[in-house]
Amino acid sequence: MTRFGSVVAAAIVALLALAPLVLGSFAVGLLNDVGIGALVALGLVLLTGVGGLTSFGQAAFVGIAAYASAWLTTTHGASPWFGLLFALAATGVSACLIGMLTLRLGGHFLPLSTIAWGLSISLLFGNIDALGRHSGLSNIPPLHLGTMSLTTPESVYYLIWPIFGLAYWFIHNLLNSRPGRAVRSLRGGATLLASVGADAFRVRLTLFVTAALLAGISGWLYAHTNRFVSPSPFDLRASIEYLLMAVAGGLGQLAGALVGAGLVFLVKNSLQDLLPLLSQRGGQLDGVAFAILFLVLLQHARGGMMGFVSRRGQGRPGAPTLPARRPVPALLRRSLPAPGTPLLAVAGAVKHFGGLVAVNDVSFAMRAGEIVGLIGPNGAGKSTMFNLITGTLPMSAGQVEFLGRDISTAPQRHIARLGMARTFQHVKLRPKMSLLDNVACGAYARTRCGMLASGLRLNRAEEQQIHDEAMRQLTRIGLADRAHEQAGSLPLGTQRILEIARALAADPVLLVLDEPAAGLRRQEKAALGELLRRLRADGISILIVEHDMAFVMKLVDRLVVMNFGAKLVEGPPAEVRANRAVQSAYLGANP
Amino acid sequence: MLISRLIRYAAAAAGAAALAAGALAADLKVGLSVSLSGPNSSLGIPYAKGMQTALAYKPEINGRKVQLIVLDDSSDPTTAGRNARKLIQEDKVDVLIGTSGVPSAMAMAQVAKEGATPMIGVTPFAPVDNPWVVAVAQPTQLMVDAVVERMKRNGIKTVGYIGFSDAWGDLVYDALTKTAPTAGISVVANERYARNDQAVTGQVLKIIALHPDAVMTGGAGTPGALPFLALAELGYKGGIYGQHGLINPDFIRVAGAAGNGALMSTGPVIVAEQLPANYPTRKIALEFREAFLKVNHAPSTDAFSAYSFDAWLVFADAAARALSATKAEPGTPAFRLALRDAIHTTKEVVGTHGVFNFKPGAVYGVDERARVIVKLENGQWKLAP
Amino acid sequence: MNWDVALILTVGGLATGSVYLLAGLGLVLIFSVTRVVFVPFGDIAAFAALSLAAFETGTTPPTIGLVLTLASLAVVAELWQLMRRRELARMPRVLMVWGLLPALPCLAAWWVTGRNLPAIAGIVASILLVVPIAPLIARIALRPIADASVLVLLIASLALHFLLSGLGLLFFGPEGSRTHPLVAGATTLPGGFPVSMQVLLMIASAIVLSGLFYLLFERTLHGKALRATAINRVGARLVGIRPARTAALAYGGGSLLAGLIGVLIAPVTTIYYDSGFIIGLKAFVAAIIGGLASYPLTALGALAVGLVESFASFWSGALKDVFVFGTLIPVLLLRSLLASRIEEEEEEIDE
Repeated sequence: MTRFGSVVAAAIVALLALAPLVLGSFAVGLLNDVGIGALVALGLVLLTGVGGLTSFGQAAFVGIAAYASAWLTTTHGASPWFGLLFALAATGVSACLIGMLTLRLGGHFLPLSTIAWGLSISLLFGNIDALGRHSGLSNIPPLHLGTMSLTTPESVYYLIWPIFGLAYWFIHNLLNSRPGRAVRSLRGGATLLASVGADAFRVRLTLFVTAALLAGISGWLYAHTNRFVSPSPFDLRASIEYLLMAVAGGLGQLAGALVGAGLVFLVKNSLQDLLPLLSQRGGQLDGVAFAILFLVLLQHARGGMMGFVSRRGQGRPGAPTLPARRPVPALLRRSLPAPGTPLLAVAGAVKHFGGLVAVNDVSFAMRAGEIVGLIGPNGAGKSTMFNLITGTLPMSAGQVEFLGRDISTAPQRHIARLGMARTFQHVKLRPKMSLLDNVACGAYARTRCGMLASGLRLNRAEEQQIHDEAMRQLTRIGLADRAHEQAGSLPLGTQRILEIARALAADPVLLVLDEPAAGLRRQEKAALGELLRRLRADGISILIVEHDMAFVMKLVDRLVVMNFGAKLVEGPPAEVRANRAVQSAYLGANP
Repeated sequence: MLISRLIRYAAAAAGAAALAAGALAADLKVGLSVSLSGPNSSLGIPYAKGMQTALAYKPEINGRKVQLIVLDDSSDPTTAGRNARKLIQEDKVDVLIGTSGVPSAMAMAQVAKEGATPMIGVTPFAPVDNPWVVAVAQPTQLMVDAVVERMKRNGIKTVGYIGFSDAWGDLVYDALTKTAPTAGISVVANERYARNDQAVTGQVLKIIALHPDAVMTGGAGTPGALPFLALAELGYKGGIYGQHGLINPDFIRVAGAAGNGALMSTGPVIVAEQLPANYPTRKIALEFREAFLKVNHAPSTDAFSAYSFDAWLVFADAAARALSATKAEPGTPAFRLALRDAIHTTKEVVGTHGVFNFKPGAVYGVDERARVIVKLENGQWKLAP
Repeated sequence: MNWDVALILTVGGLATGSVYLLAGLGLVLIFSVTRVVFVPFGDIAAFAALSLAAFETGTTPPTIGLVLTLASLAVVAELWQLMRRRELARMPRVLMVWGLLPALPCLAAWWVTGRNLPAIAGIVASILLVVPIAPLIARIALRPIADASVLVLLIASLALHFLLSGLGLLFFGPEGSRTHPLVAGATTLPGGFPVSMQVLLMIASAIVLSGLFYLLFERTLHGKALRATAINRVGARLVGIRPARTAALAYGGGSLLAGLIGVLIAPVTTIYYDSGFIIGLKAFVAAIIGGLASYPLTALGALAVGLVESFASFWSGALKDVFVFGTLIPVLLLRSLLASRIEEEEEEIDE
């Protein structure tokens, strides 16, 4: 966080801490509602803003928790604190089940599925006898601390806001950590995550459950501060309202959750006071006026209030918090196979896309310590071949062996974890993340800290190791001085080099590079060639697709030439250059 | 909050100035929270109109002005609770009145209890263990009992039920299943639909397949007309019964011929002009209609606006007694306590729907005088004694 | 359940399904051209129905006021833009398109009110009256953010729905209305149960209208322009298709469909100021089943939703929508599986 950001944060915390001393009881109660709403919105910023999963069902999770705790405390006389555990368990389990069922959905199907379960769950509440059907449950006991009963808004205030503060701190830590970087990479697609050994589905699921648990805490607080629950505060309309809060505040920043919830409650309350002064039917105009104000906000700040603020030069989520400098051991490196031992063997690889054969019975092998080039005219099937080797696409037939293991049917992330790291023809970087964070993603499979440890900052040593590793790789490619810039600000050619650094952070045995030199200037190409040769000297094997013949010929030990999906010829550069078939098929009259 | 509070103070000051140098003694304050928008607005809007009528009908109590503050809860229980808090804590009202929808009323009652402020409910609901709340609406049981009695008289043996899938639908069903068996009537179906459903063909087919002698409906307002239309369309020949929630002119407009002959229980206010001259509520009900026409420039034709009018009458009677019994000024906790006790000692206060007698420990205060059976005949409600 | 019941439920399901079908087509039309999930679609249908109800009772439909307000706002927005671009010479045209054009149906509606004209006059006036609504609100609230992310557009569209339904409550009041059937009478099904002619008319109109719609898209230049914009916005612009104009066309087409839906369902179901949302939501389900792109699949999805809803209301009225949305999830899983497996990156959010 920037220094300015810290000052603002400290000021907000101080203001919030003092608020009950100056504000009336109702205003404190309203702030409590803001806190309860902001918890749900925080989950939505995380889920929708960061993770890219739009949810129209968060209110259902609020409801599950609220009803769970209400039911346990009213019918079984349990303590609300026990209710919290039960509520979180109920929310967590439901979120897990729903997530496992629906999170594989792509595109517009996923948001629609959230409408489906969100709507169904709130309808179910009204049809369960034990939950008081449509009339709900009343006389829910208030929260208590020891013997003190938290019935007044002022006393609950000092519970709600510390909980929100903790949640905020937790999520903030989380986003600046190993699992957080994976979460922030979700929008880049499952292939990107799998290429660093992460399981996008699992990341989505944990993210989904985390957001649901935040809604769950909110629901528990709701039940015990309102002390009455009924189905309608948890229906689709309520879910939409939470989403409006998150959007009004700004989905791009965690603080957007707080700002959005505050804005929505404040505006609604002010409208309720103001409109009756303007018109006899003012009471009915609330909704209309709110909608108009909301539309006006979107016209001027489609990134929400925080988007408005950050345009004026504030921090973004994941502006790096630099770990304190304390020496830590470097991340463990894997032992590389001895040069010359068999590394990769492709046998009879075939890939159909419907009727089109993109790769037709291609076989080749490479040994550790080699740089092998895969060349061929446009459409020869090189990139498809790469996708088959790395497991990005399933093979139609054939076999691939890597480090003595059959990986023909292994998922991409397992192959990545075995030590095969790749770059992409169409760059897959997170443009809004810093260079450092992008590279740090590469070390995902080498590190362990999960969401809980990261959120609680128990991951400091490992984070520092990751940081050091990422800096080392950035230094290697000569971008260390730009470590904190956004990756999207780099020219496209340089972004390709950055992908190499990310691949290197995975400590690979084999580096699979898809057109790394495209878009580079002459000196940059020379530097890249130099880097790759150094890597070979360090024992890393490289498989490369490249169009720049001069660059490839100088670099590689051997070439595999493909044409129309089939292998044409294989051999050292000089031999390939002299081959007639290659000349006619590919190089034409210019050997 | 701070800003809006400043605005409120400014507005209050301006209002005070406009009223010229008014009474020196503190005004009484009534806080009304109703659903002016959302699915319950078809009840909430008449509630608000009835309250405006009441304010015009009886603007002063013991020489003190009464201020009315109206808030919209947008049919949302959370907002209803928040409104109640706002009315109690910011406006320091002496009494809360509200709202349409059982969950919202329950949420308000919870806050009334916490804030030690009396509340007069206008919807039939039953908060447990809450000494601060009474309701002027008839208990659903009372109204449904009347329907069941009529069914018995008409020789009905089996009845199918179709109602809203909300708290109202639950209430009517529960009341029906409680008394129908004692009258020798068995309830053979429990079908539900949502207020804005397009069709209830499926539900009605299921009921018709069971061949009940009659159908009882648990809806309200125009959405309540849907089963009547479907039953008529599918050629159902048995009797159709309803309850007071259905009674408003829009129901007649939408149900059209399909509603003809339906029997419903309601408060006597609906057929005030047809009541015998000595009926206790006849006079006030006719006065209410007159006042309503003057204030809202439209005739009163529904049961809901009369409830809030009654709530005002109960409040006015209790406030008058509280003001003379205690030295405490309105706006103080002591006065609110006195007002609550006064409400709980309400004796034979005549309202438009019934004669009210409240006592501690009971939410409702009406008796059989608060219900009549009416029949829908050619677009008119006819008293059917 | 016996065959009679199944038959009646099927007819009922097809009737509701045909409403979702038309609404779904409208949603797909608008989304494919503008990337906006147009939530207020249902509200516009409700306005058409309630306007027709107003004509029948001889009162001036408040929709006139709504359209005129929106038109003046749109004119202000357009003029503001012209001022900033210093193109005031185009002012007469703007006044014509955004001011006069929407005022024409208002004038017609005003003229029709209270005269003893045949029912068809009121019906046509109601449909025409709502046609300007979608283009106008889109011009005012959506065009300025046309390049925002789909999520922001959706949220704006939700806000527009809240705006319209709030205005609907103010204008039309909380109670619902029904209109006289367009065709009277009933026919008898083989089992002896009657089915109103109006229901059959609804199903027939849906088939005819969707057929027309399909032809329009396949055969006419405007239809092709719309499809081109849907497939490739930049490409369409390069060949001279103006996105703003195609968008206005799509909104207008959507609005027209909404108006037709409104007058078709008003005689068979009670329409409230807020009836539109749930119609729009179920049509949205159908549109998603069609991948927000395919018209035939959308039609299939719409009829399926109508049928499931009809049968579910027989099995359990209270849990009807749980059934509808519960069965949706497996369908979505299947659709997602069958949809192209091309890896898509999520759109970045707006900052």
